[in-house]
Amino acid sequence: MPFSELDTAAVARTLSQIAEQPEDVVDAFFERREEVELPPEDEGPGLRVWREEGFAVRLVREGRTWLASRDAIEGRPFAEALRQVARAIPSATYPEPVLRMPPAGPPIAAPELAELPPAVNRALRSHHVGFPVRYSVRRHRRWVQVVGPRLVPAAESETFYSVTVEGSWGRYGALFPRLDGGVAETVAGALVSLFRARQAAPPAAFRGVAVLAPGVVAVLLHEAVAHALEADVLAQGGNPEAAVGVAMATERLDVLDDPAAAPEGVRRSTDDEGSPVFRRWLLRGGVVEQPLADSLWARTSPVLVPGAGRRGSRHLPPGPRSSHLELLPGATDEADLLAGADEGLFLAEASRGSLDSLSGEFALHLPFARRIRRGALAETVGPCLLRGRVADLLTRVTAVGRPAYPAGAGWCAKGGQKLPVWATAPALRLEGVEIVPGGPGEMPA
Amino acid sequence: MSAVAVTPQHQETLVSLVRRGWPDAEVFLKRGRSRRVELSAFTQTSVFSQEQAWAVRAGHHRGSFFAAGTGEPDPAGPWPEPAGRSLRLPEPSLVLPWNEPSDFDAPLIGEREGLRLLESLGRELASELPGARLLSAALEDGSSESEIANSRGLRARTRARVATLHLEAAGPGRPASTASVYLAVREARKINPPALARRLADRLAVTAQGGPPERDGGEILLAPAVAVRLLTGLVPLFVGAKAGALISGLRDHRGRIGSERLTLIDNGRLSGGTLEAPVDGEGVPTREAVLVEQGFFRQPLLAWWQAETAAGHPSGCTRRASWRDLPQPGPTHLYIKADAKTPVVALLGSIAQGYYLIDVTGPGRFDLAEGKFALPVCGFAVEAGRASAPVARAWLCGRIATFLQGIAAVGRDLTFHPLDGMLGSPTLLATGLELRG
Repeated sequence: MPFSELDTAAVARTLSQIAEQPEDVVDAFFERREEVELPPEDEGPGLRVWREEGFAVRLVREGRTWLASRDAIEGRPFAEALRQVARAIPSATYPEPVLRMPPAGPPIAAPELAELPPAVNRALRSHHVGFPVRYSVRRHRRWVQVVGPRLVPAAESETFYSVTVEGSWGRYGALFPRLDGGVAETVAGALVSLFRARQAAPPAAFRGVAVLAPGVVAVLLHEAVAHALEADVLAQGGNPEAAVGVAMATERLDVLDDPAAAPEGVRRSTDDEGSPVFRRWLLRGGVVEQPLADSLWARTSPVLVPGAGRRGSRHLPPGPRSSHLELLPGATDEADLLAGADEGLFLAEASRGSLDSLSGEFALHLPFARRIRRGALAETVGPCLLRGRVADLLTRVTAVGRPAYPAGAGWCAKGGQKLPVWATAPALRLEGVEIVPGGPGEMPA
Repeated sequence: MSAVAVTPQHQETLVSLVRRGWPDAEVFLKRGRSRRVELSAFTQTSVFSQEQAWAVRAGHHRGSFFAAGTGEPDPAGPWPEPAGRSLRLPEPSLVLPWNEPSDFDAPLIGEREGLRLLESLGRELASELPGARLLSAALEDGSSESEIANSRGLRARTRARVATLHLEAAGPGRPASTASVYLAVREARKINPPALARRLADRLAVTAQGGPPERDGGEILLAPAVAVRLLTGLVPLFVGAKAGALISGLRDHRGRIGSERLTLIDNGRLSGGTLEAPVDGEGVPTREAVLVEQGFFRQPLLAWWQAETAAGHPSGCTRRASWRDLPQPGPTHLYIKADAKTPVVALLGSIAQGYYLIDVTGPGRFDLAEGKFALPVCGFAVEAGRASAPVARAWLCGRIATFLQGIAAVGRDLTFHPLDGMLGSPTLLATGLELRG
């Protein structure tokens, strides 16, 4: 851990000098990041490395936040930042704590990055297909230490990988907690599906049955449940605590956010504000139980509990966000999800989702789908869009599959803060949902 | 700003990279500071950030690497091993005299001043459209200095000053219509709250009250916000070595790709421009490049290395969005030339029956291979030069060639929007396009 030599006690003592009121939230957020990327072969430079570190000092008082950040972990900038956030008039001078960080270390080696493209190529050949693609593989590492005036939680770290593959017929991107043989097969399988669907015509607009694979369920939950239940999003429509107790979905849906159960490598015991994380029941039996909140929003209502504060960078204040969503498995075997549908669509992949927080309009972009005929998978159809209002869509779940799987992950860029999000989910069957044709280049009729 | 001596530690890093056997080396240093103030219904945030970072590209004929980090680069490294493709760097070239704008030295907007500006926006919006409110407002004012040196002898130093404003607003009633504005100017104090509030209020009112039109054509007046979105979708036609081939299919029998009213320019040193600078992200001098002149395609926008394989003169158009980003060619200030003699009101008054489209409501769809586009828009139906009914949930559709050839007039209100670079357009009077519901 790079923060082992950080004198957190000295930092805490300094912070306590600007926490003048009992309800003040004061903290220091230290981070070190390291990213290594192997870009596509035809793109120079051949290896890319980013290393950065810095800190932010924050004061929250009566709904107002002051934050000062720097790109160095040193005593003098820290004292300057304290002076900038402190509300002392006239501005005071603060002692400079001794902040030592070990040097960045030896040259970065990431041999696993170079091993992935040939492994995917081998997996593609085993599917009896071959096509030119461009790989970009990146390893992300992040170390975080939060210090408060009274509490100093343990430092946290995250390591994960992002993979992007581009072909002339489409683009695939995903996050993985590690790069192993299973990743190559997952990537190859997704590429083969995209390749085989490249010329498939989009389906005609219809309202009916849709069976969602776990990866698609993950995107659905992220947009329609997690974003919808973030305290700052709820506040756009009124009082966030009013959402608690509202039946938002069918009683079949139990959805949690549990950062401590995320895949190894990205598991967290505290959030980016140093608050302990817990198994947060977003929906229990379809009813809203515990919206996502950080320490700022938790100050506004006793029903909002902190522990979901995340920050994309030290230069921006934290906000309430999900980390690892779980949909608890239901009672229906996967095969029966399809068998129960005479006609419909099986949605295997989602490229992205979007939510209009005010209107509740939701859209899930699907690069392709498979028709369901008499309970079995049939031909592939091209790009389409599952859309509707969140409140309506979540009541249309008629069966929850079993078991639940690690359901992939992706980037969420709400408010310009790009964060990885993870999920564990089973497949789902929805009935009476609207699906319309629509790819990125689809022209209106 | 000009060719300059660089700091000793900059030079030391460069020498160290070359001594390691990497004859092609470049060091980029950047320092910046910004003030961000943000308002929402329940929260108020003030952030003051200081950034200091560097980026290095280096390599030999067998490979190269890119490394970037915060603080100062350590000449001793650690550096990654070069891999993949080799690196090519620009030679030094003459930088024409440039007077640094005086507003570069203006202090960043203060916390109270910034919050007052955002609060006044909220008040102006409510007075323009009772019941309308700001959902969120974020103002960021920043300045930076950067320095670049490479092993071929190029040395340059530049400064930048940019303020951005992002507003999201909701109209009255439930469900409320929503609208957003994102703009960039050189200095936050140049933001005009009443004008912005009017723009948001118009958009909210039109979205709430307007309906989709029947399939219709006629003369369509495109406000700058709509015209620049069209231009953004067409950027691949005008940028890079392959642009000439893409655009050849758009020529008419006279060799024109657009109406004689269409003149398209890119200029990295545009006076008063948000990205105004004497050199680009690789230290290459910026200049004005005329891409389309009175409808005739002259050349694509080319970086120095693209000009070696494509016809046309290079211009300094390699952008470095931040120290984390690799330099990439793209528009700097890309704009359709305005006609100083034509006020927008005269264009509107000339429409017997048609539409005035004031904003876009979502991402556009562009099929450059098929030469078609569709853009979700809102605005007004126009009869006898006056707005007759609001229009919303509409798509502006047509062929790209028809749009370019059908520009019947351009206004004088050149306005820039932060999109793929700063893209600008005055109001355009377009013919031959279609509005669909």
